[in-house]
This record gives sequence, C-alpha cells and structure tokens, in this order.
Amino acid sequence: MTKLTKFAALLLLFFVSTANSQGATTVGNGMKKEQPARTFYADTLNNKTNAVDNIILIDDNNESYTFSEGQLGEDEDFSGTTAMISSNDDYFLSEVGYRFSAMRFRTRAYESHYNNVYANGVMLNDAERGQFSYGMIGGLNDATRNKEGATYTEHNSFGIGSIGGASNINMRASQYAAGHKASLVGCNRNYLARIMYTGSTGLMQNGWAFTVSASYRWANEGVIEGTFYNSLGYFLAAEKKIGDSHSISIATWGSPTERAQQGAATEEAYWLAGSHYYNPNWGYQQGKKRNARVVNSYEPAAVITWDYEINDKMKLTTSLFGKYSMYSTSALGWNGNAADPRPNYYQNLPSAAYDVWDLEYTPTDDELADYNTRKEHWTASKANRQLNWDYMHYANQQANAVGGECLYYVERRHNDQLTLNLGSSLNIDFNKHNKGTVGLQLGTTKGMHYKTMDDLMGAKKYTDIDKFSVGDFGINSDYVQNDVDNPNRQIKEGDVFGYDYDIYVNNASLFYQHKYSKGIFHFFAGAHADGTTMERYGNMRNGRAQQYSKGSSGTATFFGGGAKLGMIFAFNAYNTLSLGGGYENRAPLAYNSFIAPRMRNDFVIGLKNEDIFNAEIAYNLNVGPLSAKVSGYGTIIKNSVEQSAFYNDQESQFTYLTMTGVNKLHYGLEAAVVYNITSSLSVNLLASVGDAEYTNNASGMLISENEAVWKNSDVYMKGVKLDGTPLTALSLGIDYNIKGWYLSANVNYYDRIYIDASKYARLASVVGAPVIDATTGEERLDIPSQYKGKGGIIVDASIGKSISLREGKKLNINLQLSNLLNNTNMITGGYEQNRDDSYADGSERTYKFSKNPFLYYANAFNFYLNIGFRF
Amino acid sequence: MKSIKYLSILALSLFVTTSCMNEFDEPQFNEPPFGNNEIGAATHTIAELKAKYASTISGNSVQQITEDIIIEGVVVANDESGNVYKQFIINDATGAMVIGVNDVGLYAMVPKGQRVRIACKDLYIGGYGKMAQIGGLYNGKVGRMNRYIYPQHIRIIGLPDMMQEEMQPAVIDDSFFTNDNKNNLAKFVRLENVSITEANGTELWAPEEKKNSSNVVERNIKIGSTKIVLRMSTYADFANEAIPTGKLNINGVMTRYNDYWQFVISHTTDIEKVIE
Repeated sequence: MTKLTKFAALLLLFFVSTANSQGATTVGNGMKKEQPARTFYADTLNNKTNAVDNIILIDDNNESYTFSEGQLGEDEDFSGTTAMISSNDDYFLSEVGYRFSAMRFRTRAYESHYNNVYANGVMLNDAERGQFSYGMIGGLNDATRNKEGATYTEHNSFGIGSIGGASNINMRASQYAAGHKASLVGCNRNYLARIMYTGSTGLMQNGWAFTVSASYRWANEGVIEGTFYNSLGYFLAAEKKIGDSHSISIATWGSPTERAQQGAATEEAYWLAGSHYYNPNWGYQQGKKRNARVVNSYEPAAVITWDYEINDKMKLTTSLFGKYSMYSTSALGWNGNAADPRPNYYQNLPSAAYDVWDLEYTPTDDELADYNTRKEHWTASKANRQLNWDYMHYANQQANAVGGECLYYVERRHNDQLTLNLGSSLNIDFNKHNKGTVGLQLGTTKGMHYKTMDDLMGAKKYTDIDKFSVGDFGINSDYVQNDVDNPNRQIKEGDVFGYDYDIYVNNASLFYQHKYSKGIFHFFAGAHADGTTMERYGNMRNGRAQQYSKGSSGTATFFGGGAKLGMIFAFNAYNTLSLGGGYENRAPLAYNSFIAPRMRNDFVIGLKNEDIFNAEIAYNLNVGPLSAKVSGYGTIIKNSVEQSAFYNDQESQFTYLTMTGVNKLHYGLEAAVVYNITSSLSVNLLASVGDAEYTNNASGMLISENEAVWKNSDVYMKGVKLDGTPLTALSLGIDYNIKGWYLSANVNYYDRIYIDASKYARLASVVGAPVIDATTGEERLDIPSQYKGKGGIIVDASIGKSISLREGKKLNINLQLSNLLNNTNMITGGYEQNRDDSYADGSERTYKFSKNPFLYYANAFNFYLNIGFRF
Repeated sequence: MKSIKYLSILALSLFVTTSCMNEFDEPQFNEPPFGNNEIGAATHTIAELKAKYASTISGNSVQQITEDIIIEGVVVANDESGNVYKQFIINDATGAMVIGVNDVGLYAMVPKGQRVRIACKDLYIGGYGKMAQIGGLYNGKVGRMNRYIYPQHIRIIGLPDMMQEEMQPAVIDDSFFTNDNKNNLAKFVRLENVSITEANGTELWAPEEKKNSSNVVERNIKIGSTKIVLRMSTYADFANEAIPTGKLNINGVMTRYNDYWQFVISHTTDIEKVIE
C-alpha cells in the first residue's frame, strides 16, 4: 500500500511538473490554447458505452453521464448551458453529450431547466433558475456516475421528467463496487492535473456499506492565460440495511472550488491579440497575473434515504435533501467618474477611431493616426491589452492621500441558496404487464442575492450610493442611495452593499406514471400536478424604488401540471416504432419573475405559466451487424417569460429586460447508426439536425438600476435562433479494439451555431421607425440579423489500454486527443452587444456595436491522459 | 482503508497549500506605475511658457514644441465631477495651464493637489479662444493629445496634497479684469462674496432641457461691471443639484473664450456659502 501511495505521489508530481511546463510554454502561443474556464471533459472519456467494446471500461456503470464543464452551467456569464437528455437505453443520447461536448452541444437546443436531476429520488435542480448545478458535484465523477436516465417518454422509477428528460443519481453506499480505484489525469485544459480516489466496502456482512471519494483538480494557470483552477471534491456515504426490507443511507458531498474565468472578446480584439483564446479578464499586478473574475463555489449537500421494500411488488423510496450553496463571482467595479478599466472596452479599440465598416469612407489623417496608435498600443505588449492592476491601486492610493473616494475595487456577487427538498416514490408492480410509480416532491428554497466588497484595492473610502443616479438626481437626493435606511454607508471589505434580497420558492408536485407491456405493444402514461409559490424579500430600501424594495413582494402562486403518453410497437426483433407526446403547463422560474430584482419587489406584469407541447416519433432497426435509430421531435413552448440582465453601456447601467409572451419552436431529426464490421471493428454515424427559434415578437419591459420606472416596448424576436449550440451536428466514428487496446476516432461536423441575440438591440424603441429598403423601395424594420458562426470540422481520437494485473488488479491508460487538426475557428457561442449604433439623438456612433459581437471559440488541440488503477 | 487516509491527506494538503491562488498583497510603489518617471526638473514656469508662445496663443494658432521644455505644477481642476471633460489644469506660482488629453477618468492619475511635470517637447501649444492650452493637433488647431502618447509626457510626483502653496488660489476682485490679465490666463483664483445670477433656490445647475448644443448650460456671475460665464455641463455629477443662493466664495480657474471671461468650477466642494 505504501508503495502504491509513493507511486501515486510520483505520478502526480510528474503530471504537475509536465502539465505546468506545458502551460508555461504555450503562453506565448495563444492559438494553442483552449477555453478552460468553460470546458473540460468529465473523465468519461475512457468510460463510454460502446457497441463493440467494454473491455477498457474502468468504471462499473457506463452511460450518458458525460459533459463538459462549460455545458454544465457552471459559468453564469455564458448564456447557454446544457440540457443533456440522458437515457440508459439510447445510443444517440448517451453518445452525443460526450462527442459533441467541445461545441457545448445541447440536445435539441433545449434550455437546461427542462432537464431534471435527482439523487436517490429527490430533485436537485435549483428552484430559482430551474437548472441543476453541476458545480455541486464537481470532481466527483466516480461518485455520481451510477445513474438512471429516462427521456420524456420513458418510464422511470423516481419522478416525472420534462422535455429534457430526467436522471437519478444513485448515491447509496452499497451501490458502489467494493474495492479501490485511484486515477490520475494530466491534461491541458482548464485544469492541468487531477487526482481522484474512490473506495467502497460494498455491502458488508453486518449490513453496513461505506463509500468515500475524494478528488483534487488543479491548475496554477490553465491553458487559457490568466486562469487558474483549485478544486477539491469529497463524497462520503454510509448505508445500513435493517432487516430484509429497510435500508437507511446517508451521503454528503461537496466541491469547494476557486477558479478564474475566461471572458469573451470581439473578433477585433482576438485579431489584435493574435489569438482566439485571448482572455481580457486578467492583468498584471506587480508583475503577477491576476484575474478579475474569480468564482468561489461550495455547495455542501446531503441526502438521507429510506428504502422500504414493502413486499415483492411494492417499494417505497423516500429521500430528504438539503444543501447550503455558496456561489459567488468577483468582478471589477469602478466608482465615480473613473474610466472603464477593461482592456477591451470599445473605446480602446482601433475601430472606435473611425467607421472601419464603411468601405467608402476615407478616414482623415487624425483619424488614421488615432487608429494606428490604438492598434500599436494593443500589439506593442501583452500588458497593454490586459487589465492594469497597478494603475488601479495607485489611483486609490492617490485618492487616499486627500481623503477621496475609492476609484477601483473588486466586488463579489453572491448567489447563495438554502434548500430542503423531500422526494418520495412508491413503485408498484401490479402484475406481469403493469407497473406504476406514484410520487411526491416537496421543496423549499431561500435564495440569497447580494454583493460584498471583495477588495477595496487599498482605498479607504467607499460610499454605498449609485454613481449613475448622482448626475440625474444630485448627490443629496435619496434617489442615489442604495439603502435609504442606511444613507451614505461607508463600505469596508466584506460588507454587503449595492443590493441585498432573498427569493423564497416553495414547490410541490404529485405524479403518477404507468407502464404497460404486452407482446409487441408497450404503453406509457404519466401525469403530474404542481404548485409553486414565490416571493422576493428586500433587505435594503433602494432609493430608486423606495416603496417597492424593502420587505416582501407578496407571494405569487402558480398551479400547473401535465400529462404525456408514449407507445412502442415492437413489431419483431428488427423493427420498433415509438410515438410519444404530451402537454405541460409550467410555472415561470423565479429568476425570470421579478422586474429588476436587485432593486425592486415588483413581479413581472402578466406573469403566467408557460405551455409546452411536445411530440416525438422514433424508428429502430436492428438487423445483424446494423443497428439504427431515427427520430423526429417537435416542441412548442408558449407564453414563456425570459429575463436578460446585463450591463448596458448605452444607459451606463446594469439593466433588466424582461420578455413575456415568448413563443418558441424546437424541431428536428436525430439519427444514430452503428455497423459492426467485425466483432472488434465498428463504425458509427450520429446526426442531429434541427431548428430552435423564437416564433413571435415578445412584450418587453426595460429598466435600468438608476431608473425609477420601466419602459414597455416590443422585442422583435421572431426568427431569432436559440444560441450556444450547433443546430447541425454530424459525426462519423470508428472504434477498434484488440488485445486490450482500444482505439477510436471521430470526425465531427458542426454548423448553424448562433450567438445570443441582444434583446436590447431588438427592442422596438431601439430599432425605431421603418426605413425604406434601398433595393426594393419598400418600408421595412431595420432589425439586426443574428450572428451565425461558420461551420467546420473537429477531429478527435483516443487510444487506451487495459492491463489486468495479479489479484484482480487492473491498470487502465487512456489518452484522448481532441481537435487533432487544431481548428481554432469554431465558434461555440457568444453574445451580441447590448447597445445600438446610434446615440440617443439618432446620430451615428463611430463604433459599430452591431458588427462586434463577443465570441467564444472551441478549444484548440488538447489532450487528456487518464491513468486509472483498480485494486 | 490506509489508502483512503493517505490519499485524503495528500489531497487535503494540496488543497491547503494551494488554496490561496487569489491572494494578492496591496502593492507598494517606489515610483508611480504610470507616466514617465524619467522627466527631469522644470525648465520653465507656466508664465514663461505662455510668454514664449504668446503670439501663437493670442492668434488662436498652434505650434509644436520642439525644445526640451518641462513645466511643473499642481492639479487644481480635473474631470472628477464630470464638469471638466478630457482636460485638467495645473498651477504653479506664475499661473495655470490647461492640459488636454483625449481620455476620460483622467483624475485617477491627476487628482486635485497632485504635483506633476509635463514634458512639452513634441506636444502642441496653441490658443483655444485665445487661451493657452497644451495638447495635440486636431484639425489644424490645438486639441487634446492622444491618450497613448500622454503617459510619455507626464510625471507624477509624490502623492497629492491639498495644503501645498500651489493649491492656494489668488483672491481676486473687479480690479483683476484687465486686458493684461486676460492675456495670461488661465489662472487659479478665488471669488469672494459673489452670487450666481440664476440662483433662486430651485434652479438647477445644468438641467437637460436648458442645454445648448455642447451639452452646457451657461450660468453667470457679475463682479462689478464684468460678466463672467460659468459653463456647466449636463454631464456633471452636480448638474441636477440646485444652484446655491446668496453670497458665495468659489475657488476655480479663470479662463477666457476669446473676449469672454469664463470661470471653471470643477467640483461643488470648491463652493462655500458665506455665513452672513
């Protein structure tokens, strides 16, 4: 054992040193870098389900639990987060999540809150935003791999899923394979090294079972410059069988993480920096790289489960889940009239010197000189295109000398949550053909939203007022106060300031699912009834909303529900046809339900449930070496509420834009074909070709934080595509295994990747009156067109070897090579700027915001080496 | 179970030793991290510089400075409150000079009371409304210098100090308004017992609806028979505050625009009410 520990430590050291030098040597060559703050592969690379091979599999359960961190919604700055439909039985669904993860693929472009994640039958999704926080189980891949997944039209044993399906992580200590497993990872992604250990006693003679897992992920600098990664994961579980029919289990886990983020930039900034992986978030402080955007997250959680086998036919599972999540992101702040310190602020860019987009325009000498000095500044040194922390500190030190206000600071925006959920389900086998699950989910959540002063950068004085309101109302007005009850409060590091409010959400859901199978016919039906209440409670009296900010908003209650049906006709061993469909009436998310929640108590006007209609059809063919599945789906979502919250340069203020009456349509085709050429060689084809778009113009409500009233304006959303995922994704793969060696390669083609359309730029009030089209002579609205990334190919390969050692020990080595052709021009997503190209008086701006979206690019060539040892 | 212990300890110790990835000490600077710390002692006073280019200034023309001229002064007005835009004004014992820089948030490095040196070589000097200004070339006139060139021409000296001699304005009365003085502006001055013509208790400094095409609302002070214009920006932090009534003492910079006397208030803290 000691030998092993030494060996592990040595290996780790080796990785740390090599990975480290890798990081250091690639610093100068931006094009070699990937996007670590958003993407890594779970270590399922060597664990995937494969039609021809399962020799290499290190783990006990192999299914669709594959994801990239970027897809997981860990990064709030990025609008698109994953909706990963999982299914234990579907090759397409279990493959695409992993294979298309470099492009942050979302199955059917569904938003992540349509996918539910459970643990031991209790729901884990965040009640405010609706989505599961994968950060909660960061680094706990081994401990959370054992899962039951079900699509919309599949029966499951735990809870009813929405259009994005549902999955249930099994965290019972007895359900982990007895033995030990240790693994080491070296890679050049957002972290460079990972160590993980998982051990389980299995169910022992005395009825007890224990499982522990721990991991540590590390990068002093990830592959994207200026990022770091520092994350521990732990999982502890115990279970006791009591008699023949009872079992009590408890699991507690957490993943304290500190990581620095990558920021998006415009193509111009990427061009000036010579890399699509330029990261504007960092800069030098006394020669040391410092990132302004650091996420601290720790979501300690526990689940207690009582399993009761009432008899052979009935099984009751009841779980209580609690978590206290602490999630915060830091961001630079600038006070008073201090200049925007972000290096890629548009005023710093060459194209702000004159209109470079008007090819007919000849710049004046002054403009050209200005353009050139800006360009020279950007390209002369790396420090010039990064944050200047020394400058900011010195400004504060000067202000201190004369008793002045802080100019620059780092704030920390907190989104904490206290949650208690109860899930209970009774599974009944009525007879050979009929099976039912009845269940209940109850949940209560308190979300705590506030910001604290993270670093005053040496400043001695910061007054909690809204700097933007000062010019509008005068310094002596109540309107400028962020908390009128504590006017002109002096803020020290750690103090809460700016905004402070709580969101309370309670929900209850009752469901029943029934499954019938006889002969060629399989039938599934499910129904649920839900109730949701939500309330905002303000802890500050905001000066711009003195009557509407402190205390309770009152409680809004929503009742919803849904029903769905599924049918499978297994005509014979070769042909299967399945059909399914349903309707759901779903409460809006609390996150979207308040107008400017940082300052106000108002519910969105016209808030109501959304309607979801869904239909699916699939055909399965299994003939000899060929298995194929083709499916079609169509989803209509009506009356949605969506909120965008963004820093609006136009209004120089944090701004909320809420849309109501939003209608969307998702439809498309999915296909998976596997052909086994020999028992050790197979080829496969995956295709996802669909569309996902807004189908109407929504009603908008716009309010900035320095304003006391909101403005109503329609938002021209009709035709806007859902963003951050390729709407066309095709893959051709080959798998080969021989004598414990495992080889695979995939060629993936992606296209129709849209970025997040600015709702602000599509406001009727911003678009303005119709213009006369130059070619047709007809009137038309000048609505911006949505930016679309170019299609392209990414090639991946992996090689692995499984070595059986004495006494049942096993060594697995797997090397994953991603983006072998080093395609650095694939956009994974991004967002348009929330500004328009003209000033308030209608005159044109020099800089064209509409031509300069912020973009994220898929990782450059990267590797992931995993060595696993089972003993 | 031993392995659990070892690995946990390993993982934990790693975490403990590396859990401070985002800790930074407050930087201490031996010299300012901004500007050109090589700029030497002043070669000219502000008055000497104005005299040297007197005809260029009075002729509203512009000239590039080709000699190694260095001036030194203390910042008496800047863009902190937003009433002054893209410039700051420095003062020495002989007078004040407007420095134009095409950037915002200048006050971060040149707060009021900050001593600075300006290396004038290669910059432009000229007359804007017949008043001296140092900056860059803009459409054949003196304008603001390029923001990326600016750091090469300024040296920040020490920390700001409001008590130093250059921060003491010259108290002036109606005898000040002579042609000779007019030709040597700008000047850091104090007006005592003056009142603002438009002040009535409710009138605001610079409301949107009264602005002119330069986003300015003009306010007036009369000293003797001399009318002085206060150009108040709608972008100023105090734009929507009421103009103080009654007798006031105001520190500011006396400037001119051709034949008009203008007075620059950079912050309302420069205004004090006279207790009567």
